[in-house]
Amino acid sequence: MAGSVIVITSGKGGVGKTTTSANIGTALAHMGNKVVLIDTDIGLRNLDLLLGLENRIVYTIVDVVEERCKLKQALVKDKKNPNLCLLAAAQTRDKSAVDAEQLKDICEQLKKDFDYVLVDCPAGIEQGFQNAVAGANEAIVVTTPEMSAIRDADRIIGLLESKEGVEKYRLLVNRVRPKLIKSNDMMGVDDVVEILSCELIGVIPEDTNIITSTNKGEPVVNDEKSLAGQAYLNVARRIMGEDVPLLDIDEPTTFIDKIKKFFAKKAQG
Amino acid sequence: MYDNEYFVVDMSSCSSTGEIINSLSLALETLNHSGKKIVLKLNDGYLNQSQMLSIQSLITSYGCILDTIETINPETAAIAENMNILVQKPIEKRVEDKTINQENNSGFEKFSINTSENNDIIALKDVNGLHFEADLDAIKKQQDEINIKSDLKNAGINPNEDFNKIEQQVISKYKKPEEVIDTIDKFSGLTNLKINSASESAIGLEEIEDYTNVEKNSIGVYKKAYDENELSPDDWEEVDFYETPTTDPVVSDSKSTTYINQTLRSGQILESDGNVVIIGDCHPGSEIRAIGDITVWGVLSGIAHAGYKGNKNAKVRALKMNAVQLRIANCYSRRPDGTNIPYIIRSSIFTPEEARVVDNEIMLFKINQN
Repeated sequence: MAGSVIVITSGKGGVGKTTTSANIGTALAHMGNKVVLIDTDIGLRNLDLLLGLENRIVYTIVDVVEERCKLKQALVKDKKNPNLCLLAAAQTRDKSAVDAEQLKDICEQLKKDFDYVLVDCPAGIEQGFQNAVAGANEAIVVTTPEMSAIRDADRIIGLLESKEGVEKYRLLVNRVRPKLIKSNDMMGVDDVVEILSCELIGVIPEDTNIITSTNKGEPVVNDEKSLAGQAYLNVARRIMGEDVPLLDIDEPTTFIDKIKKFFAKKAQG
Repeated sequence: MYDNEYFVVDMSSCSSTGEIINSLSLALETLNHSGKKIVLKLNDGYLNQSQMLSIQSLITSYGCILDTIETINPETAAIAENMNILVQKPIEKRVEDKTINQENNSGFEKFSINTSENNDIIALKDVNGLHFEADLDAIKKQQDEINIKSDLKNAGINPNEDFNKIEQQVISKYKKPEEVIDTIDKFSGLTNLKINSASESAIGLEEIEDYTNVEKNSIGVYKKAYDENELSPDDWEEVDFYETPTTDPVVSDSKSTTYINQTLRSGQILESDGNVVIIGDCHPGSEIRAIGDITVWGVLSGIAHAGYKGNKNAKVRALKMNAVQLRIANCYSRRPDGTNIPYIIRSSIFTPEEARVVDNEIMLFKINQN
């Protein structure tokens, strides 16, 4: 059984590619799949930090490409989940250290042993992007409900369509703030999907837990209370082919909210 | 008053000993004065005994005798007296031109060199009113030749024997100062030291190819030897697919030490074939490799690989040890999980620690505690 290679890309930086990769990877591994995460952001690696594996890296993807070690040696096992592995990027090199053919080759090799190969793509559309996309047969385009991110995502989708290997691409709308959408200060998810005319794979609400989880080096899916974690778990299920309805990302109404509403009405009346 | 067997050298314009020695050797070499007694005029600067001795030996190497010193500094005078040198207090300061005239009239030779830092011209004057100017480089070169000659003389070597040698020394001394100062090589005689930034294609990891017999090994955590709680096994599971190379130890013959006065940032590799002392922090993502020891006068948060050619006696020291990984020779260890000190260290409490290999395991010891 050959696994699928999924590239996580966005064009714009800072929309949450690396966070998405770490969380989807962890979620998929939780569900019993064998998952490998590849960080292709050579020179600016971050994925190891989000997974808390920074101190375990001895060999990197560049060492593999330059045949200083075997591919298996460079795979770092996750602290908690033995199903999850990381192939880290080198921090002391740049994007030109690896070319598209080499990455494609690595993906082909990993496909044999793993169910899912997730490739974390660097920002931009230069060599780093070309490398990351080379071996992929699926893509997840991450965007936020902002004009700049949407425009970049549009460009990326255009590039993905012209790629031969990529059979399927889906959209993930990240950092959605329901309150702002309600008050018409933020574009709605429907608008984003309409503009990009692309299949939706998930909506992730803005969540402060993401910040703490990044600092701790533990993906937010491990936190059952986190709304973003739930959303990522749903995305992972959809990747596995399950039909999961979109998560209600409206902030749950608490007792205090009800009292507030009550008094607001009273004040108006 | 001085008669003809005296030679007066006015060094009151010179501020440092080096300047005095330079100017003095130039003065003695330019005009032949062997056998004469030297009267050295100094300013109020303090000269210690060793400086005085070096001046005296320089003068003797030219066949002259240091007879009298003119100074107003009481300490210098006391030292000179101890060395059986006559001490005189200088005549009250007069207008310079007049001094020259008067001394000329008295019939003794006067030689004065005015070195001024701002001008590139050194003016030389002698009794006959002979006045010439030369550019600084030529004169310095001349001075250096003389210095080397006098060094050789002091060492009992006839400088006329091997002029090529002297010439070479002079040439090597006369590299442009910017070249010498700006390159990192100025710190020592290091041959293989480089800080690679990410954009450079060269990577130091090539050295690892030198290792031949690759043995299976595991990467364990580094532990604090002095804290028993830390010694208890934690949730660490062994990862068996790490291989660390082993080979015959390469202990550097000449343990040169490099001083780096800068912060190592993410993506930078510092490589040395001796010891390294870093005055500054090493941020996460940076890497230091040395054949000898590594000392960080600051926070070590990157990867440090001491004795990377196989010297297990190499050590890593830091004021604050927060290294992602510590490697000594073929022993690899990583930071225990959850002990990452944040990027910005707020606490000013530093516990200097030293990492050593004990039974193929890397252990941390408090410095000044055995």
